[in-house]
This record gives sequence, C-alpha cells and structure tokens, in this order.
Amino acid sequence: MPKYSFATAATVDEAVRLLNEPEVRSIPLGGGTDIFVALRVNPLWFDRLVDITHVPELHHIGVADGVVSIGAAVTFTQALESELLQGVAPFLACACENVGGPAIRNSGTLGGNVANAAACADSLPALVCLDAVVHLLSPAGERALPISEFVSGPHQTNIQPGELITHFSFAQPPAGARSAFIKIGRRRAQSISRLSIAAIGTTNAGGAIDYIRITPGAATPKTIRFTPVEDMLKGQPPTRELFVRAGEAMSAEMISVTGRRWSTPYKEIALKAITERVLAAIFLQEAQPC
Amino acid sequence: MTDYRYIGKPIDRVDALEKVRGTARFVGDYHLPGMLYARCLRSELPHARIVKLDVTPALQVPGVVAVITSDDFIDHGRFGFPISDLFMLAYEKVRYVGEGIACVAAETPEAALAGTKAILCELEELPAIFDMEHALDPNAPQIGPAREDGKHPNFLGHFPVYDGDPEAVLVDCDAVIDQNYETVMQEHAYIETEGSLAIPTVEGGVLAYVSCQSPFIARGHIMRTLGLGETAARVINPPVGGSFGGKDDLNYMTAGQVACLALKTKRPVRMTFSREESMIASYKRGAMRMRVRVGADKAGKLRACHFKATYDSGAYSSQSPFTSWRASIHAMGPYRYDACTVDLTTVYTNNGFAGAFRGFGNPEVYAGIEQAIDELAEKLGIDPLDFRLQNCLRLGDTTPHGQTLTESVGLSDCLLAVRKASDWERKRAAYAHQSDPDRRRGIGVTALFHGTSLGAEGTDEATGTIEIHQDNRVTLTSGLTDYGPGSRTVYCMIAAEMLGVDIQRINIHLPDTNLAKDSGPTVASRSTMLGGNATRIAALNLRQNLDYAAADLLGCEVFQLQRAGESYLGPSEEPVPWEVVVEHARRMGLVLSTFGRWSAPKIHWDEEAGRGVPYFAYHFGAQIAEVEVDLRTGLTDVLNYYAAHDAGKVIFPQGAYGQIYGGVAQGLGYALYEDVDYMDGYLQSINFDTYLIPTSVDVPEINGSFVETHYSQGPFGAKNIAEPAMVPVAPTILNAIAQATGRRVRKLPANLERVLLGETLHKKGSPVSCKVALKSV
Amino acid sequence: MLIQFTLNNQPVAVEAPSDITLLALLRDHLRLTGSKEACEVGECGACSVILDGELVNSCLVAAPQVSGRSVITIEGVRAPDGGPNDMQQNFISYGAVQCGFCIPGMIMAGEALLLKNPQPTRQQIRVALAGNLCRCTGYQQIVDAIEATAKSRARQRA
Repeated sequence: MPKYSFATAATVDEAVRLLNEPEVRSIPLGGGTDIFVALRVNPLWFDRLVDITHVPELHHIGVADGVVSIGAAVTFTQALESELLQGVAPFLACACENVGGPAIRNSGTLGGNVANAAACADSLPALVCLDAVVHLLSPAGERALPISEFVSGPHQTNIQPGELITHFSFAQPPAGARSAFIKIGRRRAQSISRLSIAAIGTTNAGGAIDYIRITPGAATPKTIRFTPVEDMLKGQPPTRELFVRAGEAMSAEMISVTGRRWSTPYKEIALKAITERVLAAIFLQEAQPC
Repeated sequence: MTDYRYIGKPIDRVDALEKVRGTARFVGDYHLPGMLYARCLRSELPHARIVKLDVTPALQVPGVVAVITSDDFIDHGRFGFPISDLFMLAYEKVRYVGEGIACVAAETPEAALAGTKAILCELEELPAIFDMEHALDPNAPQIGPAREDGKHPNFLGHFPVYDGDPEAVLVDCDAVIDQNYETVMQEHAYIETEGSLAIPTVEGGVLAYVSCQSPFIARGHIMRTLGLGETAARVINPPVGGSFGGKDDLNYMTAGQVACLALKTKRPVRMTFSREESMIASYKRGAMRMRVRVGADKAGKLRACHFKATYDSGAYSSQSPFTSWRASIHAMGPYRYDACTVDLTTVYTNNGFAGAFRGFGNPEVYAGIEQAIDELAEKLGIDPLDFRLQNCLRLGDTTPHGQTLTESVGLSDCLLAVRKASDWERKRAAYAHQSDPDRRRGIGVTALFHGTSLGAEGTDEATGTIEIHQDNRVTLTSGLTDYGPGSRTVYCMIAAEMLGVDIQRINIHLPDTNLAKDSGPTVASRSTMLGGNATRIAALNLRQNLDYAAADLLGCEVFQLQRAGESYLGPSEEPVPWEVVVEHARRMGLVLSTFGRWSAPKIHWDEEAGRGVPYFAYHFGAQIAEVEVDLRTGLTDVLNYYAAHDAGKVIFPQGAYGQIYGGVAQGLGYALYEDVDYMDGYLQSINFDTYLIPTSVDVPEINGSFVETHYSQGPFGAKNIAEPAMVPVAPTILNAIAQATGRRVRKLPANLERVLLGETLHKKGSPVSCKVALKSV
Repeated sequence: MLIQFTLNNQPVAVEAPSDITLLALLRDHLRLTGSKEACEVGECGACSVILDGELVNSCLVAAPQVSGRSVITIEGVRAPDGGPNDMQQNFISYGAVQCGFCIPGMIMAGEALLLKNPQPTRQQIRVALAGNLCRCTGYQQIVDAIEATAKSRARQRA
C-alpha cells in the first residue's frame, strides 16, 4: 500500500478543489526540494500530493498597472532568467541564482521557498524588501497577506489548511531604484545561507537617499525589514561613513531581536560588513557578485 | 631515457567505458530474484551495556525472514587487526552511537526497518568519554578492552621517535616556536555508501560482492566468524564507488552480516546504507591535538623538534595503531634536525570510531608541523620556502629515524618547481604589503615526505597473475582493489609494455578471491609499486616463455630476438606474428599462465627505541596555495593551487594528475569546512546538506606537476601518489591564510568563524537528528 | 498507478506505487541503475537526469510527476551507433573518471549545460556542475572533458 497518493492539477481551481477534498490530507507539490527531504525523517503529514507544476498560471511572471506578479510555481531558474525580474528586482533574481545548485534551481519554486519559510531561505530577504504580498486561494475565496505577516517564524506560516499560494505581487519599485543581494555561505555553492542581506533604494535629485528597504536573511528567526536602519538612512547623502553607522545599527537591531546567541560574535561583525557592501553596491555602484 | 610504448603515455582507463555509460554494476545496482534486504538495529547510546536483546518479536513482523546477533558468529564475530576489539555485531556492550546490534533480513527495506524496531533491546547507559584529554584519567570509564599489562584500558598505544635530546638543543636555539595545533575528524564522503551482497552457494558456502578495500580480508573475516573453509567463501570486488581508506572495517562487518544472513535464509541478501546510516555508523579520520616545539639558529638551520600529540581513535582501534605509527614517523616533517623526539599517544573515547583515511595520520601531523615550520621561518624573518629549501631532506641525508636516503629524493626539486610555477617571490612580496581593509591575499607553502606502502607496519608483498587464453586474449588478476585511482589500468599498461603487445589484448579481472592471490589491502598508496611489480614479474615470466618459443621458431638465441610491433624478429628471418609465437609456445608445452610475487625490501622499526628504517622509499612533494580572505566575513577563496610531486616515474599520467587534483580538493575541504562534530557522541552532520565537501566552484584550477626521480625498486622507477597529494593541503592553505590575515588558525577547519574571530564558536548540538535517522532513513 | 512518459526518447508505461521518487522508479521498477542513489536530499547530484530539457535531481521528483514528460537518463546518452557519445569519450580520454559513481550525474549535468549554453567558459562549466559532488577527481578533468566536448561540437556546427 502506498503511504500517500498523488494527483495532478491542471488548473488553479482544480488544485484548490483537490487540496480541499474531505478525508484526504493533501498538500501542494511544487519542486519537491523540501518535501522529499523532510519525508525522510518526519512522520507522514499528508495523504496526497497535489502536483501544481502543470498549472500554467502558476508559472506566470508579469507586470500590470505597476504591480509585478510571480506565480507560486515559478522555479528559481525561471525567476533568475526572467528579464522582467532582472529589470525590476535584480536582487530577487540574484537571490534565486544563489539557491542550491542548477538542479535544485530547476525544480525548486518561489512558492515552496516561502511556504517552507526557513529563516535562511534565499528568496525571502528580497521579497520582504519588496513588501511582497502572498496571494492565497481557498474554496472560501482569495486572501492576501503581506509576506511579513504570512511568515510567522522559522518554518511557520499563517497558511490555512486547504489554502494554495497562487502568486506573489509587489508594487514595481520606484524608477531608478537599485538593488543588491549578498549571501555568505560556508562554501561557494549548494550552501545554506549563513547570513545574507537584500536592499533596494534610490536617491533624490539632491543626492540624498529617499527610498530604502533593507532586510537581512538568516539573522532573525523571522525575516523582517530593519526599519529603524531604513529610517536612519533616509534623507541622508550616501557616504561610507553613513554605511558604517548603518552596519552598526543593523547588528544592534539584530541583537535586539535575537539576543546574544552562539553565533552572535560572528554575525554581528559579518552583518556590518555586508550591510556596508550592499549599500555601497546600490548607492556607490560598487560591484558585487551577481 | 628509455622510450616506452605505454608507460608514461596517455591511455584510456580500463573501466571507464562502463562507468561513463552507467552500466558499471556497483553493489547497490544488483537485483536478484528472491533477494532479501538487510538492515541493522544500531545503538542510540554512545556507551551502554546490552542488558537484554530479544529478536523474536522482529520475526513476527510481516516480511521479516531472519534476524542475527553476535551469537550467530563464532566467538561473537570478534575481529580486527592488529587489535581484535571489533565484533560483527555488538557483543555485551555498545561503544558508539550507530554501532550495529542486530541485523534483520526481510523481503523489503521497509520490512527490514520495521523488524529492527520490533527487536527488544534494552541498553543500560554507561558513563562515556568524549574528550580525548581525559581518556586516560584514573577514574575514566573503561572503553577499550581490558589489558593484562596494567596499562589504562583506554590507552591504545604509544608511538615514539627518538633522535638525541631535543630539550637540550631547544634551549640553545635562537628562535623557538611552541604552539598547539588541533585537527578534527573528517568524513571520507565516498559518493557510494557502504554495501554488500551475499549469495548462498550450492555447496553451502557463500559468494559475496563487497564494496571494500580487500576482498581477501573480507573473505578471511567471513571464513573465521562463520566457520567456512577457504573454498566455501568467495569474495568479489565489484566497482567500488570511492573509499579513501573508508571501506575497511565497517564494510567487513556488513559483509559478515549479509553472509551470515544468506547462509541462514538460503537466499541472496543485500545491504546498502543510506547516506545518514553511512555517516553515523562509519569510521572517520581521527582527531589529533598536538604541541609542537621547533627551534632553529639565526642562520636558519633547523635544529630541534619535539612533537607531542594525543590521537583520538574513538570507540575501536581499527587501523589506529597503524595510522598512529605512520603519523609518528612523519610528525617532524621532511627535515634534518640535530635532535628530534616524537611522542604520540592514542586513546579510546566514545566519539564514533577512527580508522584509515587517505594519508593515514599524516594530514593530521602535517597540520601541526608544517604550520610550526612556517611560524618559525616567520619568527626568523626568513622566507618560508627558502627556509624549507635550506633544511629539507636531500639525497644522502639521514632522517631523524636513522635512515640514510640513498636514492629518489626529489624534494628540493619539488620546492623549486612550485616556486617557479606559482611566481612565489613576486606574490609573497606583494602580499606582504596590502592595504585593502576588506580582502587580502596570501600565499603559503609546505613540503612533504610520505613513506611508500605499508612500511615496517607489516608484511608487504603482492602477487599478480597473467594468462594467455586460447583466443590469444591476455588476462591479468590482482588481489588489489581499484576503488578509483586507476591501479587496474596501471597493471594493464605494465603487462602490455613488458609483453610488447597491444594493450587492447589485455584485460583484467575484478578482484576475486577465487581467481586472484592475496596481495594485502589496497592502502598506503601501495598499488602501483607492489601490484605493479607483481604484474611486471608475472609478465616477465610469461615473456620468458614466449621468448623461448620465438627463438625456437626463429632458430636463434633469445638474446638475438628483436621486436617489430608485436611481432618477433630473428637475425635473418621475416617477422613472426605474436600469435604464431604463442601457438608455438603451446606446442612446445610451455605454460602460458604465470604469476609474479614481489616482496618489498626488508625494513625494520624498533618500537621502544623509536628508531629504524620505517619505509623502503619515500614520496616527496611541495605545494603552494594562493588564497583571498574576506577579512570581514572570514570567507576564504582558494584562488590558485600548485602541487609538485616526486612520485618516481609516472606510469599512468591521467590517473596520476587525477590523484593530485582529487587530493587537493579533499584537502581543501579538510582545511576550510569539513568538521565531523560529535555532541556527546552524537554526530551533528549526517548528510551532505550539512557535512560540506568542496563543489566544483570551490576548487580552483590546479597546477600539478611531477618531478620524476627514478626509484630503482619501483616498476619502471615508479613510487606512489594517491595519499601524498592530500597530505599537506590543509597546512598549505592555512599558511596562505596566515599571510593574508596576519593571524594563524591553529585548529582545523579554518571556517568562517575561526578566520574572522580567531576563535571557535560552539553551537549547542542535539542528539535528535541522529536518533531519528537511525530509525527512519 | 500507471505512469506514462517518454524515457530516453521511447514511450513507456509503468505500473508503480504513487509514493516513490523518479529515482526509485528508474532504479527499482525500470532497472535503469545508471542513475545513482547517494544522498536522497538533492545535495550530491548522483541521481541527475534531464527532465524536459532541464537537469533535475531524480531523488526529489515524485515519480508520477513525470507523466507526459520526457526523461533522459545516462542510459539514453550514446552516439547514434550505440557507442559512447563525444562527451562520454572525452570523459574517458581526459581521465575524468575515477571511482565513477558520480560520473553518470556529471555527464547529465554536462549535457544539460550544453543544451542551454553550447559554448560555456570553464567557470560556467564549474557553476553548472556545482550540484554534482565528486570526491575523487577534484573536478578538473571533468571540466576539461566538458570543455573539449563543447569545443568539438562548436567546430562541427561551424
């Protein structure tokens, strides 16, 4: 007897219907890169996998009325190769390029990355910076939650039983916005993020920072924008001195959230460094990997 | 220089075609009708007494066919050499997390797992030792076997080298380094996990396919522990998916378990490990803590070395008496001293267990001595490469062991080769003055000697056979396993060269105890020299018979024979094809199957005096690493790598270069991130998601080269390469990091935290993933 | 359940349980053992296959997920005459094979790369292999073999 059954959804509606059939605990299957790993050691938590990767809408990447939308089944490879995303949110494309190895990027999906909600998930810092909205569909209808509310903690989300993430959306960043993503892993590929940072910003005609979002990854249990640091940066001319202070503020903010942990002596120094670098990449056009 | 047809020339590996097509059958690829799947119940405690072990409930589980314990083996399956402290399955006690207690054979892997869970096993936890420094405390719980000599049961051995009194010399030195260094355990991380398949034979014996380092050792253990005669147990090595020293003891247990189950069930039984089971159950490279004192005079002459270390063998001795001995022999590095003492003590703990791993103790000691030498050069203000050149062993020198080196000493040439290839002087000078606050480069060097083959560890000989079949194909056998490095190709090249025939005629059997002859284990980088010489002699014996036939056919003396391609020529005759000579030899009644045995030159070691001739020859080498360190995140990139090795004559170039590249990669992981971390005996990284080995983007382009000294006793002048390429990599990279950062990392690995902070951060571990994995995957 | 798909350019229909991976389907049900099982968590790439033109870890693909799709395994990589193709021959010639356990996955990764990027740099080759672990070779001769293949295929196209 198979431990679980399998169904394939051809449309979003069919996926939602399958996920909500009574008596059958069903979960959506995207790339499988988290589910099959977890299945090895966790007790079975579902009766059926519902393959959503054949649903065309879930692979859609597009922009309409200034709102960018990314389907939940978009793979990391599709995201990083998307000219649209490379244009409007290059740091998100860059984050996707930093995920796993080629095969993982070909299978793994953004929907899965967010639903799995690991503190070290590579796509989260950029999505959080963008204040992305998670769109959910269930028989009760559509629901939209800001990503920072959707992800409630490490491997914890506010998804309700039977809900399907259909897509993410975010307002197109201001014209001229530059973004960057930096990841520290223990090795150069297939590496869990030790620490990462995503940021996006613009300067005004007077040269002062007028728009800035900055989010570290693997720094706090739940990936969040460090708004006190954003406030500190806003209205200031972008200088190295400012970035140094921003780095210190980032570390202080991280410690205020997490307290001092075993890894704090490392992360408080490294976070300062990548904060300075990510800001220099955006505002001083300094080159960074991808 | 002799012009060879095959030796030293590019050639296709003999087993490459089946491997690139995916048709090579590794153990896990075998499927037989009626085959059962075996799985072990493994200990979830690091040290415990087995109070109750009742397997009968497991036999009630649907699909379970048989269950065995240590009671199913003679003398409870006790084995191990040189110390017999292992059992085919745990007897009376378990000493590490993951130790096999009972083994279930079932119709499916799922049923086998269910069977292990149904076994009633009651363990009474015993106090354990996880810190090697406390293993020999008077009140320490007993882990090792009881001893009759009054020594502490956790004492495994003491391994000294004595040459004069370094204490007296050190006080006289102008500069002295006195530092502690530490290495951690390393996982072999062969990509193929452990596996064995046993098939009961018609006459009541067993045929086993075992992924291991010696089919003869596997057969020996099966015979002794199951009471089978030599002919009743046959072991074949299918292709082995990597080993690096790792498929010795544990896989002999696996082989013994499936053999026992096959006899019991009269059905084929296969066991293959999941990655998690492999990592939890398998032995590792041991961890070492060293205090190294080295001194020199102002002019840069090395004068004294006092090397003191403790080595953690974990729960069992396995190969540790041998690894410890090899480590002690090389612990002072490849240098001349006025006085030298090595003092190495090996102990038992409950941290898994340690055994053979590429380099066999030497990557551990080199992480100490080759950093200390660098620190001493720095203290003296001497270029570290010049310092090594000034003091390194040269032809005619006498080593601290008392051995005079009479031939094949290419160390200084290796140092010169990497100096040139790397543009050392310019880079070393440039990197001494850097101002970038974020990223800095460094370049570091090491020198190496590494004894070839087993050394005075044991009897050192190998046997090869060669046979011409009726269809004129030529078949070789060797008892030595080729788990990747390419020895089977080397033997075919040697045979073709010696016989003067096309290599396409030659094929070589998989190692098979019924066809080949025992040649000892494939360890210690001994295959080319030992097995190569055996093949060479076997081929010479065959060649002699063919020469008689050719001379008879051509009506001349043997010394008048010449060759034109495969054909034979006499003084006046037309060429005679090789096949015709072979046919004539048959008619003359000459035997066309021969064998060759080669015994290594006699050597000796006095364990008490710490002196002797430990190895009959040495491999020498020098390596240079160039790194860029991110000073603000601790991330180290190895930008370039240079390795020059004196392996004697290189026989199989692609294979030899492959050993350099692979050795450097494996050492790079050891240097920068590989860390087998036991938390109170529980392994923390149990799969490749958290136990990181280098990927293709972590390893730089490697500049490898050979200094081909000729070694008179080696086949065509060859020595060895497999282990030495890996041995000095970690200190090479650490020396480069030290130049880049101005700070030393003296404990491996030089991970992000150690490089950035200069200290180790301790994450609180958990036994959970280990325990869950033992019961699930 | 019945799983129908295209395997190495041939249609197949196989009855298999719904709860297995593509790797298990290939190895245990179709007896194609060239794809190797080594970590089962998508970290080592020994099980790599090409699914609809893209490299995937078959240990992380649900077997029924390939219904109606095209799978190429190492058994489907060969020259028109049935012998080794140029990539495989280059792996042999350049000494890229040692123990060989990772090699089927490496060849799939190499072929998948050349489908997308016929003329990669050595660094691009390394990036394309980053999900395929090898413990024997240090990757260098594998990179050599793929680079040589790309170059010779480019010459043939020209």
